[in-house]
Amino acid sequence: MNRINSKLQEEKKLLSIYFTAGFPNLNDTVSVIQELEKSGVDMIEIGLPFSDPLADGPTIQESSTQALANGMTTKLLFEQLKNIRKTVKIPLLIMGYFNPILQFGVEKFCKKCIESGIDGLIIPDLPLSVFEQEFKSVFDRHNLKNIFLITPQTSEERIRKIDDLSYSFIYMVSSSSTTGSQNSFGTTQQNYFENIAKMNLKNPQIVGFGISNKETFSEATKHQKGAIIGSSFVNFLKNNKIEEVENYVKQLV
Amino acid sequence: MKLKICGMKYPENIQETAKLLPDYLGFIFYEKSPRFFNGELPEIPKSVQKVGVFVGASLYEIRNKIRKYDLELVQLHGNETPEFCALLKHHNVEIIKVFLVDENFDFEVIRPYETVCDYFLFDTKGQNPGGNGTAFNWEILKNYPSQKPFFLSGGIGLEEIKMIKQLNLPIYAIDVNSKFETAPGLKNIKLLKTTIAAIVQMSLRPVLKKNKTMKYNITENGFYGNFGGAFIPEMLYPNVEELRQNYLNYTNEPGFQAEFQQLLKDYVGRPTPLYFAEHLSAKYNTKIYLKREDLCHTGAHKINNTIGQILMAKRLGKTRIIAETGAGQHGVATATVCALMGLECIVYMGEIDIKRQAPNVARMKMLGAEVRSATSGSKTLKDATNEAIRDWINNPIDTYYIIGSVVGPHPYPDMVARFQSVISAEIKQQLMEKEARENPDYVIACVGGGSNAAGAFYHFLNEKVKLIAVEAAGKGIDSGESAATSVLGKIGIIHGSKTLLMQSEDGQITEPYSISAGLDYPGIGPLHAHLFESKRAEFMAVTDDEAMQAGLNLCKTEGIIPAIESSHALAVLDQKKFDKNDVVVINLSGRGDKDLNTYIDYFGL
Repeated sequence: MNRINSKLQEEKKLLSIYFTAGFPNLNDTVSVIQELEKSGVDMIEIGLPFSDPLADGPTIQESSTQALANGMTTKLLFEQLKNIRKTVKIPLLIMGYFNPILQFGVEKFCKKCIESGIDGLIIPDLPLSVFEQEFKSVFDRHNLKNIFLITPQTSEERIRKIDDLSYSFIYMVSSSSTTGSQNSFGTTQQNYFENIAKMNLKNPQIVGFGISNKETFSEATKHQKGAIIGSSFVNFLKNNKIEEVENYVKQLV
Repeated sequence: MKLKICGMKYPENIQETAKLLPDYLGFIFYEKSPRFFNGELPEIPKSVQKVGVFVGASLYEIRNKIRKYDLELVQLHGNETPEFCALLKHHNVEIIKVFLVDENFDFEVIRPYETVCDYFLFDTKGQNPGGNGTAFNWEILKNYPSQKPFFLSGGIGLEEIKMIKQLNLPIYAIDVNSKFETAPGLKNIKLLKTTIAAIVQMSLRPVLKKNKTMKYNITENGFYGNFGGAFIPEMLYPNVEELRQNYLNYTNEPGFQAEFQQLLKDYVGRPTPLYFAEHLSAKYNTKIYLKREDLCHTGAHKINNTIGQILMAKRLGKTRIIAETGAGQHGVATATVCALMGLECIVYMGEIDIKRQAPNVARMKMLGAEVRSATSGSKTLKDATNEAIRDWINNPIDTYYIIGSVVGPHPYPDMVARFQSVISAEIKQQLMEKEARENPDYVIACVGGGSNAAGAFYHFLNEKVKLIAVEAAGKGIDSGESAATSVLGKIGIIHGSKTLLMQSEDGQITEPYSISAGLDYPGIGPLHAHLFESKRAEFMAVTDDEAMQAGLNLCKTEGIIPAIESSHALAVLDQKKFDKNDVVVINLSGRGDKDLNTYIDYFGL
């Protein structure tokens, strides 16, 4: 079974962490992953940096710009991840925008993912319809999970369709925003979390965007299976040593 | 107003007339008429409907003609009763009942026909049952009591059409015949052509649309060939989808069109002149026309699009407007329409551009817009676009994003091209007046994202017109400082659209360079990528130096200071040889006021 799907069956709320590959230093990618697993994180999203990350707020934008300036490339990321499965067991996903993947070659990219032990992909600007028509068969052939996003504005009909097309989890964007931290969620968001839970979707949902601390994590996972922390962790990495990751994770759960 | 050309007789002449795409062609099946039609019908375009004209014919006779000629309408000039009309309706035709009018006409007679006819036609009462070639006193129609659409007939020529325009009557169609003939049944094609152009000019009739395959138009999914689509994150999906579902319906509404056309006319100052550049023509030994978009309000074609989109935003119930801008022209055009409509306006502009384009920043502020500095990435146009998109993600309910070019996710490229297509629609009409032809030999326009080129090319895409798109080569294509996307770009995704763009091998979008702030976009609109790939348009690249010289040349020869963007299009004259008889239209997309500092620095003025 795909590592993501086994993880989703565990009887616990899942903590997933996002970070930008090649940030703060070019060769930090592997040590950040190892440190996160050691700290008890359930799942990791490795950000493939892009020059024009439309869905991201300032923190992740800056980390991407820095990573690219450091010399990060798609090819180099796969080099860095070559032996990752010798040490790391938890599910690993790559989150990246479509253009770099398109330039690398979608088929080749999927193949490299499987060789490196990547379990799933999150490509925010790859539309559902294009995925379905052009790339679903490639993903399926490699047993690679494609994770779709839903937002508070997504219609019920579309959520059902996304649920149909998903075979692991649904990335539930907490609010109408780009990535970035919030201190707590208001009633609108909490109602949204609850309403989605009531839809009884076949895929569990993991909440992302705006989760930064223990409070937002527990609010986000009250009705959902897990939550993703991104900008807050990227910010942490910017200002702290990698060895301190464990302390960061501990204060979250 | 629809047009019916009646009394068709000779096959070749029928075919020529049909090519002008009137709404209806009339064939007279009345033996006593000198225009009696009894031949074989040549092939005519599907959009042209065939009307059979009868005077007191039997049901049997009419039915045979309907079958033989595949008639879509039947026009009745005799004493046909309402019951007769009702019987005819079973033959799947529309019915036009004719009434002959004089001073004593009583509209009561039309009443029994209301329910059994589709149209009425009012002709002059005279010796013959029609085709008397004289007009009646149309003032009488001011008392028309019915809602039924009607045709007006009898001695209508160009002068009469002008009168009709002034009378402002609720006329559905005009029916022309003898005033456009060289002999009975033989239509004067040239005269018809100029008259149709005049009718279009009088806004009595939209520009003719040809009913043939539009191979350069967008598909339902938003693709031009391999390019286009909507590669957007889910957060943008509801807004973009709402727009996609509505943009055609809204823009096709008569109310929308009326408001749009009125603003283009009274606020923007359209139609902009198509100016025959005599000195430039003499210099390059060809016939050069300049489409004067530089004379639009705010100084460039950009406002054609912002007027259209602000009306769209209002129809969608949005109250907050965002836009991106590079040089500031689109920002100013957006701030202008927001001031006009009283809507909040936020313009994203790269930090570097804000410094370079201080006068336009001041204009936007004076117009009440907030200018927000885009400080991410390379801090120029592409980053301003990213910031505007992020704003839209954060404000999905009340906000509308006015994109400034034929870029971005579907339906933006198509919508912006449609709003800008007024440029080529006008060129067609104006060329008809000046050269008695609709199509030039060449249309030349500069391409950054490509909105002015899309507008200038639009109505010529499926015609035999050579299109030249001019990109900015900057300091030279191989210099590393260029914006010639078609040469330097590869297929990829930028701002939600699959198109050609300048990028690294790794798919990171690179920063282009041009002396012209309006041309340094790393992509081109998907339409242009398709025109490039399919070789429908010729793409040329013009360097900073070549463009600056061409700009100065226009100042000296014609007394027009062009925008540096437009100077790129002008520079083609030095690179390409045109024939003496070629009609070459160059889209002068903007005026040079905004570029004075660049001109001053460059020429040491």
